[in-house]
Amino acid sequence: MSTSTFASSARRALLLVATVLGLAVRVVSTERPHFYPDDPIAREPESQDASKAQPYSWSSLYEMTTNLFVTAGHEPSGLRAQNINTIDEVPDSSWFTNRVGSTRIAVEDLVRGPNHGTPPDPSRWTLTREKTSGSHPGFTARDGKGETWFLEFDPPYFPEGATGAVEVATKIFWALGYNQVESFLTTFDPKRVEFDPKATIRRPSGARTRFTHDDMNSILERVARKADGTYRIVAGRLLPGRVLGGFQYDGTRPDDPNDVVAHEHRRELRALRVFGAWTNLTDLKASNTIDTIVTENGRSIVKHYLQDVGSTFGMCNDLHEWDLSYEHFYQGDTSLRRLFSFGFAFSPWQTIEYVEYPSIGKFEGDRFDPRAWRPQTPTRAYQEMRDDDAFWAARRVAAFTDEMIRAVVHTGEYSDPAAEKYLADVLIKRRDKVTSAYLTAVNPIVSPRLDADGRLTFENAAIAAGAASGPAAYRASWFRFDNATGETQLISETQSGTTSIQAPSSLPTASGSFVAADISVEANGHPSWRRPVRAFLRKAGEGWTLVGFERLPERLSNERSAR
Amino acid sequence: MRANGVWKLFAAVVLASAFPASVAGQEPQVPTTREAAIEGEQAEKAKTLHPYVPGKFEGLANRAEDILVNGVPRVHPFFESAYYGGGFTLGAGYAHHVSAYNLLDVRGTYTVLGYKLVEAELTAPRLFHRRGSLSVIGGWREATQAAFYGFGLGTSQQDRADFDFQRPYASGTFTFWPARRLLMMRGGLELTRWSQRPAEGGSFPSVETIYRPSSLPGLGTKTTYLHSQGTVGFDWRTSPGYSRRGGFYGVTLHDYADKDERFGFRQVDYEAIQHVPILREAWVLSFRSVARTTYAASGQQVPFFLLPYVGSGHTLRGYISHRFRDQNTLLLQAEWRIMVNRFMETAFFYDAGTVAARRADLSLDGMKSDYGFGFRLHGPFATPLRFDLARGSEGTRLVVSTTPIF
Repeated sequence: MSTSTFASSARRALLLVATVLGLAVRVVSTERPHFYPDDPIAREPESQDASKAQPYSWSSLYEMTTNLFVTAGHEPSGLRAQNINTIDEVPDSSWFTNRVGSTRIAVEDLVRGPNHGTPPDPSRWTLTREKTSGSHPGFTARDGKGETWFLEFDPPYFPEGATGAVEVATKIFWALGYNQVESFLTTFDPKRVEFDPKATIRRPSGARTRFTHDDMNSILERVARKADGTYRIVAGRLLPGRVLGGFQYDGTRPDDPNDVVAHEHRRELRALRVFGAWTNLTDLKASNTIDTIVTENGRSIVKHYLQDVGSTFGMCNDLHEWDLSYEHFYQGDTSLRRLFSFGFAFSPWQTIEYVEYPSIGKFEGDRFDPRAWRPQTPTRAYQEMRDDDAFWAARRVAAFTDEMIRAVVHTGEYSDPAAEKYLADVLIKRRDKVTSAYLTAVNPIVSPRLDADGRLTFENAAIAAGAASGPAAYRASWFRFDNATGETQLISETQSGTTSIQAPSSLPTASGSFVAADISVEANGHPSWRRPVRAFLRKAGEGWTLVGFERLPERLSNERSAR
Repeated sequence: MRANGVWKLFAAVVLASAFPASVAGQEPQVPTTREAAIEGEQAEKAKTLHPYVPGKFEGLANRAEDILVNGVPRVHPFFESAYYGGGFTLGAGYAHHVSAYNLLDVRGTYTVLGYKLVEAELTAPRLFHRRGSLSVIGGWREATQAAFYGFGLGTSQQDRADFDFQRPYASGTFTFWPARRLLMMRGGLELTRWSQRPAEGGSFPSVETIYRPSSLPGLGTKTTYLHSQGTVGFDWRTSPGYSRRGGFYGVTLHDYADKDERFGFRQVDYEAIQHVPILREAWVLSFRSVARTTYAASGQQVPFFLLPYVGSGHTLRGYISHRFRDQNTLLLQAEWRIMVNRFMETAFFYDAGTVAARRADLSLDGMKSDYGFGFRLHGPFATPLRFDLARGSEGTRLVVSTTPIF
């Protein structure tokens, strides 16, 4: 080979290499990998300053009207929740904190719930204005130590009911992961009440005028009074930060830069359909939520609260509201059925037998069907819930043990032990129905792990929770996975009669390589379990790390099934 | 030398190929971590922040809620006719709070038959520590073609004659709930002047062309009344405007004192309403009975235009307004109300009514009756729209009303 020939060949080779390098730089610089090195993230970042977010008060009439007549007809997009991380879990955020079902919650933590400060000092209440949120009557007042609280009373026909529901439900929803207001059961003695000289109340004229003794009496005449002349109340601590008003269950706040996932696609908001069914939280509306601006890590962010979860258990209904939790305020199908049958086509709520304790209300578990449960009005997030969202939620409900439920109900301080036992019993029954309905609806494989010896282990959440039983066979299809292109290449299939499957010996061995495993379940009576879940694992040293998990595809066909 | 050239070429190509990458580097940074990817979206959104802007419909809803809940000064529709039988009624009012709770409402209506109403009402709903409420009204109304068919049940539709009246009035009514619930007492005083005149327009003869003052008390008169009234009742409905349970039982005594002592009389109204919920209020059986009896003052007469009547969208729904008049009336109504949803209900109904010159002649025998089907839009405390299709012995009538039947 002559020098010139060599030079020519080398020039061509170098040109080719350089071109390929150049193109490679382009490819690497513009294509996003399927999994990033920090996947799965444990916390949703909030990187921008949100201090310019402005308060806004949503019109309840507008929200109810649009939810009943527009949202109710919304066709679900079928899209997977968009705030979940790559292993199908919800990372911590200003909306949600992983607690029960993610970590072990001790009973003492559960019964403390969000309450970290000291309880109010009820030796003196100084009224400052009316209560501006919640469905039950109350005041805004300062306690004996000068701290501001929102006081809520019981209706006369539900003594201990409304206050007990707030106390118990606040802790349940805190454990489920939602930001909650600190609340304490305490007393209100009208003999120890003062009026702030600047206290005002809004009148029908729209004017704010001085808060009078008669204004206080007008509330006290409508609430349950104890034999000693005092009142049992629940006091909610004033939230820190600047209040912005409630959040909507769809769209994003246009003034919050960190709010980039449409609320209807936030899994924790979709999951309220399941948590709501379990606890009978029927009043899902913006005015029962609250956004505040707080400073965290030196940055102003918007923090999102479920502010009022007191419309739960039997307290969601008034004495004569039997249809709540079975029908929306307006529902076309049931309206037409009653219209044309002249009421002879009975609805379930007309024939259900209730054991009614005044402190519990209409709340039962025997005929409860979580899929048939309805809030007062449907929200967009409620409509968008998919079976994988419901599965995620049901696992959290299932994580409440009987002991935890009885302990949290005990914090309601019901004077009738039979009522306390009844509430706990019903919550346990409803928990079991929720898990039975939703843990079995999709392939229930969870927590896959691939050890260095090539053994894949996992759990069957439905069987573990007692929602399903009987023999099951497990099959895994193994793929090489290209993290850059998303392409897969079948390696082989293995199977087992237990929740442990040996991987094929031909798995890639290079550190940083990926495999995917499609795991399906064959079990009598559960055809939906044949649809495989897909686990993505990255080789890290000797072992494998779970970096991805998909229970259902990114998009399901539109289906308006009664979930 | 050639090899050096090769390396120069290599360097040039690498630089050239890297150039697009450097250009790309000036575009938004491609994230290398998930956190960076999300932060990139947030940074992008931070460039377009703006306060929430409500849409047109939301703006209207906000306004409506402000009016309904917060009670700010407002223009409002008003549909009360000057007198039953005026036909389709349209009107408006302007309500303004004169103090924290007290409301002044100025309103007026006009009907297709030319009935006119103009009045102003001041309501004080929160007196005596919320035990009392006061209503003071001053106004004027005119009915141009009010119907009169003669006395008793034995009249026919062909007997119709029309009359006109004009009536200025000023009244005060005080309602008192001693225990804030159940027991209700009401007292009122009204000064009014009825001017009965020939009918204006219409296809029916005017009353003075058929009757004489001797046969029709009050014909062509101008009578000034001091009308006092008192009511005692027990009311445990959720609201008079809409209720699915509870009842009302009350007696009202009226005294119409004519300063000329020609047409003074007393009237006693007995009213009973009972709602019986069935199947958790999905059905409600509702019953109402009303008896009105008049007692002319000594040597005086009850004018024909103030005689009790049955026949109207609130009484015998299958009959024209004021179809049957006499000194005494008895009305019985029953409805089977069917819940459609929280805002709508339907009802099958049956009405029966009679009139008589003597109380002893009020009898269940020979009562005029009708039956029909209704559809209502309602809220928890009010029935803003009611359609009742009623069939009586004189035909079928459609009632459209903005008030409940009872």
